[in-house]
Amino acid sequence: MAVGNSFYGDDGVGTAVLEQIRQEDLFPEAELVDVHTDALALLDHLSRGELNVVVDAAEMGLEPGTAVAFRPSEVRLKIKSDHLSMHGFGLAEAFDLAAQLDRMPANVLIVGVEPQRVTINQGLSEAVREAVPRVISLIQAEVSSDG
Amino acid sequence: MTTTTGTNLDIKVKHLTRVEGHGNIVVNMKDGVLEKAQLEIVEAPRYFEAMLKGRSFHEAAIITSRICGICSLGHQITSLKATEQALGLEASEQTVLLRKLLIHGATIQSNVLHAYFLAAPDFLKVGSVFPLVNTHPEVVLRALRMKRLANDIGDVVSGRAVHPITPVPGGFTRIPTAGELKELKRRLEEDMYPDLLATVETLKSLAGAIPNFTRETEYISLRSDDDYALYDGDICSSDTGRVPDTEYRRMTNEFVIPHSTSKHAKVNRTSYMVGALARWNNNHDRLGELAHTAAGALGLQPGCTNPYMNTIAQVVEAAHCAVDAIAIIDALLAAGLKDERPNQEPTKFGTGVGATEVPRGILYHEYTYDRQGRVAAANCIIPTGQNLANIDDDMKKLVPEIVDRSKEEITLLLEMLVRAYDPCISCSVHMLDVEFIG
Repeated sequence: MAVGNSFYGDDGVGTAVLEQIRQEDLFPEAELVDVHTDALALLDHLSRGELNVVVDAAEMGLEPGTAVAFRPSEVRLKIKSDHLSMHGFGLAEAFDLAAQLDRMPANVLIVGVEPQRVTINQGLSEAVREAVPRVISLIQAEVSSDG
Repeated sequence: MTTTTGTNLDIKVKHLTRVEGHGNIVVNMKDGVLEKAQLEIVEAPRYFEAMLKGRSFHEAAIITSRICGICSLGHQITSLKATEQALGLEASEQTVLLRKLLIHGATIQSNVLHAYFLAAPDFLKVGSVFPLVNTHPEVVLRALRMKRLANDIGDVVSGRAVHPITPVPGGFTRIPTAGELKELKRRLEEDMYPDLLATVETLKSLAGAIPNFTRETEYISLRSDDDYALYDGDICSSDTGRVPDTEYRRMTNEFVIPHSTSKHAKVNRTSYMVGALARWNNNHDRLGELAHTAAGALGLQPGCTNPYMNTIAQVVEAAHCAVDAIAIIDALLAAGLKDERPNQEPTKFGTGVGATEVPRGILYHEYTYDRQGRVAAANCIIPTGQNLANIDDDMKKLVPEIVDRSKEEITLLLEMLVRAYDPCISCSVHMLDVEFIG
């Protein structure tokens, strides 16, 4: 599942990863969903009993282009309002609502990519473009360990 | 604006929550004299008109739909209409019906989310929607269910709910199937209808929490002869009546103001209001039975001058949109879906204006195309920008009326006022009118 606005620079990393997966048909059995800026729509697609992978730009204080895979339980997602998320509801809020509504699947992996720039009308930065295959490798490693 | 109470008041709400984008509320009263009551817009401009320069007519709607994650469909439809008018492209009856269906889906989605997730927490005196999950889980689930069905209208008709792909100048690249539309109709009847009735009941129980404040102002919306104007119509002022949409500059008169990176607008008074309440006031006679029943139950009267009632007008509109969406699907099915190709052969290259009622109010796009079909000039006027002067005028009347209350209470009432307008600051902050040379 990809979250983000591909019109705002590196916020489009999720879409770029999803497109790559789609083009190369890397996970033929997976449902590929791009919720764009509507993170709340994740609630409609989270699937219990299966592996759910979410790719999003994430400000982690790391080098731009760094991709990190983590579990929601391993981090504290900061709830914040910004113009990149619909109605100010981003990933953190969507997961919080899912948990409270008892809809949060046990098996969720977030792959965050540190953005270099999140400005309108700019494509992916070089650093983040180069991160796309690394993100896919991280997902492949998780899928194979998941069986 | 002088009172004799000698009151001092100093309120600054930085980065008001539960609105789109960043705005600050600033109120200063010294010795009973109101020195300042305004909504400061501090977000950096986006310069999206400049981005359109030189882009082909195929791209304009794609670019403008990405301005904002929440208003994407409204920008897209408005952009397509402006492009079609500039290039002399006719949209078929089927195209217009499908676009109207899309607008209904987007309006339901936006209005429902605003009422439940952004406004209702104020009525229940909680800071956000999250506490409601524990106290009112069925309400949150209902809101999400309604949002999903509204999203699915977008998915079926436009390829996807956010940043749609199939609507293009002159039509659609893919026409939904009869089966898909029948399924939407079934869900609108079986799921949306009872959820709307329940929504009215929920809001009825909260109606007492809506502040009692009124201020006469000018209401501006589209108005059409044959329906509750959302997709198109004349520009209608509650003060001076109807004019064609090509006169939009005279009906906005944008001006720059120091405390806002977004322009303000005014016509016959110092400010005017756009959005659900303006549409209700100007067009309530075009609404059907369910919308009027909802309005009656929620105490929304024609000629309402309480801006806090905008949220109620949004719910009334959601009822209208659901009913009309069913009627549109019936009309499409009765006519038989035609696998039309988009009409993309320009018959001229000139200037065109698109005006659409999007959830927050009337949205204008104007483009001028050169002979290669590239954008030579662009202008976009966003609903929230049009409402900013009205919000300031409301605050200037409201503050002296509530000045004897606690600072916390005053602050909350001001925050609720701004939220009632459902402002999308993200999209209102954009570069000023740009004329390109050469």
